[in-house]
Amino acid sequence: MLPQRLSEISEIPDLMLDKVVLSVQNTFASISGDAPELVEQVNSLQPMNGIIGNIAVFNPEHTLSMMLAVPKETAVSISVKFVGFELEFESDDIGDLIGEISNILAGEVAMNIETIGFRGQSSLPTATRGSDLRLFLPNKPPSARLRFVTSDGEFWLYLALYESQRY
Amino acid sequence: MSKIKALVVDDSKIMRSAVKRTLDQLMLAEFEYIEAMDGEDALEKFSHEIEIIFVDWNMPKMTGVEFSKEVRKMENTSHIPIIMVTAEKSMGKVDTALNEGGANAYVTKPFTADQLYTALSKYIDDNGNFKLGAGGGQKKSFFKDMLNLK
Repeated sequence: MLPQRLSEISEIPDLMLDKVVLSVQNTFASISGDAPELVEQVNSLQPMNGIIGNIAVFNPEHTLSMMLAVPKETAVSISVKFVGFELEFESDDIGDLIGEISNILAGEVAMNIETIGFRGQSSLPTATRGSDLRLFLPNKPPSARLRFVTSDGEFWLYLALYESQRY
Repeated sequence: MSKIKALVVDDSKIMRSAVKRTLDQLMLAEFEYIEAMDGEDALEKFSHEIEIIFVDWNMPKMTGVEFSKEVRKMENTSHIPIIMVTAEKSMGKVDTALNEGGANAYVTKPFTADQLYTALSKYIDDNGNFKLGAGGGQKKSFFKDMLNLK
């Protein structure tokens, strides 16, 4: 599905993007009970007070890197659905939660993009909490910025597709 | 009545809590939980007193599958149910966990109480009693009808 050299493409293929959107909807529906709606592709995210979950699905040739940007209010609302009570935004547990949601999302993405020929495995997730967070994507690799809205609030998913590093 | 010793292995404290909370809600038995944050930690905490294991796949230091293989290499561990609780969903991964890793069941995250019950159903007898380990024995009656589980 992907060319050997990603320099041959300027955008993430629509087929892959569709599978990622489906994965986001499945993941959040299984957690919150309702599927988030893809509102738009955005040019850039305004500085955010919240948490970013980082994870990748990769194989020896390609890596699909994902940044799940969740504002404070959305993260706290999701915590009620996931753990049954409201987690404090300042706690370590909220980072653990968004990391775990990123992990679940990556598992779903890996399963869905395998059906279009991208067979990969998930990395371990990391999470960053902060205020005035700005997300940057390098210009060169194919990338996408997706904004979703759900009953818990809004969140963003940034994607970048690049060739895996070989050492 | 002795409690069932369950080893819960996940690098996420939230997920370890979710497994414990769901098991308690199911009221299959009374559990004593031993928690580990990765495969290495779990191997250190493993003993032959452990009666059931719930293990994540994707963890630092040692994965759940590597941990399961290490457990299965030990003598007298084949009777200990290993339930893989993981975000990995592809059929290849399920096959690896069950056939190479020696896991007995596979539950994908985020799981429901029904899914966890289904994974454990082979350890529940016709009367709804939980049976585990070489010692086996009925630990606590499980009132299926009360929980409306099929």
